[in-house]
Amino acid sequence: MNLLAAIGVAVALTGLAFGLPALDRALPADRPVRADEPYPIAAGVTVIPPPGAVLDVTGTRPGDHEGTALFRIGPVRYAIAVQPFEGSLAAAAARLRQRITGTPGYQVTGGQLAVATGSGIRGLQGGYTAPGRGGRYAVYVTDRLTIEVTVSGSELDLGRTLPAVEASARTIRYRR
Amino acid sequence: MTDVRPTGDALTIKPSLWIVLALLLLGGIRMVELGARFAVVYPLATLTAVVLFTLFAVPFWLFLAELDFLEREPVKLRVVAFAWGGLVATAASIPAGAALENLVAKLGSPHLAAEWGAVLAGPTVEEIAKTLGIVAIVLIARAQVNSVLDGVVYGALVGLGFQIVENVVFAVGAVALAGRGDDVQPVIATFLLRGFLSGVWSHTLFGALAGAGIGYQVIRHDRPRRFRAGVAVLCVVGAWASHILWNSPLFGDGLGNGGLALLAVLILKGLPPLLLILWLVRRAHDREADYYTSVLATLRDPELITAGELAALRSGSQRSAARWHAGHRAGRKARSAVRRLQRGQARLAVELSRSAPTGRRRDEIRTQRAILVASGHPEAIAGPWSGRRLASSVGMSGLAIAVVWAALTALGGA
Repeated sequence: MNLLAAIGVAVALTGLAFGLPALDRALPADRPVRADEPYPIAAGVTVIPPPGAVLDVTGTRPGDHEGTALFRIGPVRYAIAVQPFEGSLAAAAARLRQRITGTPGYQVTGGQLAVATGSGIRGLQGGYTAPGRGGRYAVYVTDRLTIEVTVSGSELDLGRTLPAVEASARTIRYRR
Repeated sequence: MTDVRPTGDALTIKPSLWIVLALLLLGGIRMVELGARFAVVYPLATLTAVVLFTLFAVPFWLFLAELDFLEREPVKLRVVAFAWGGLVATAASIPAGAALENLVAKLGSPHLAAEWGAVLAGPTVEEIAKTLGIVAIVLIARAQVNSVLDGVVYGALVGLGFQIVENVVFAVGAVALAGRGDDVQPVIATFLLRGFLSGVWSHTLFGALAGAGIGYQVIRHDRPRRFRAGVAVLCVVGAWASHILWNSPLFGDGLGNGGLALLAVLILKGLPPLLLILWLVRRAHDREADYYTSVLATLRDPELITAGELAALRSGSQRSAARWHAGHRAGRKARSAVRRLQRGQARLAVELSRSAPTGRRRDEIRTQRAILVASGHPEAIAGPWSGRRLASSVGMSGLAIAVVWAALTALGGA
């Protein structure tokens, strides 16, 4: 009886640690998203998703003050994070680069280029590599907010989808 | 019917012990892997977080030891409870919490997950994982859980272990999010927020409530089985509900900015469960104290325990006051003798309740009594309130308020 009860405890714990993640993986995370209208990310920031993109609800958390949106274009991951931020564009870019390189195996490649969205929000962009993957990042600062864009996938997939993703990133807008 | 069920004190090896040890090993491996990853990237921040939150655990551990003064639980079992919370419950809760939050997003919507995902997922998986730890303690040492207070102590220790390890994970997570490299500032901010401001109404408290329920289920055989199970479920659900209230976005924006607004939110969300659970713990403590002091009262031997000492032994504050009084009147040696006398009296009560031999214990108490008599302070009772003791208490309270206020100001922007 004692052994059975202990096995019951172990089974319940296994259900939590492995059963719930298995159930999560079994359910689809993708939702269709329109590529012809702005998608609200958080804090008044919107973006028009690239054609063919789907919304991954596991990486999407909208909010009034901060939030994230995660799109997938085939195997390519296109994430946008909006957060309150008090600082310069250079500081925001340094923070994002530090976070990228804080992941073991990730390295930032080359320098940074100045970019701007269609609505005039200024930013910096660069690239990084990870084992078996490549990535691009861009960071924008506006009205005490930082908007971080990261795109990752195999170099081949990135090469195919980057023009559409960059076009989407230029549609990022902020309305108070 | 009594609220205490005295049993033999021997720890016997049961089959469940091996399963619990295996789970502790697996949880330990998982958490060491996680800690090693942190330590490689952020060594200073990780070390700072571990040191700060380990120090933070000390007063909680001492408080629980004082609460558990009369019939102290074996150190091995207390360590197992703490380790379950810190290694097993955390290792299970990290993937389970993320998965449940994803399920809220998938079955509901990203908006629902953003607003309520973490609020529901965290308490649900964490309270289950911690409660399983209390059940595990009952399975490996049922004889050691012989009052509701014992359940409270084990539940609180499981919660404390969880709280400490979770706080370290959050602190290093904050360092990674800040993106300033191996910087300790986010660790300090996390320590102020999750330690000083929200540390009191956190997992230790929720665990204590769940433990009270399990303790009731185990010892109150005079009650119908369904009733006992109902009380246990009610306590676990109460812990879950308190956790949800604490995590909820309630008053998230409503009380403005600054230290006072932050204090108001903390009090509105944290104080009701804190007071309720402290009331339950006090009740469980007093019932256990009543039982053991009634056992000692049958001795009618003032050399072993006087009527005044019986009254002092019932409460932690009175025991502490008796030690302070002895030190004030007769010096450090008398203070130490009172501490050893009280410990001996508590052990004697437990041995009497178990019908165990008590000769050695009686000799120990008589030895301490002789020291007290020789130092001119024969009775270990609390003295009247003195100005010095009052000043010391006011000073400590003032210091605690100043520290909390400094934390509130730093985090609330007052």
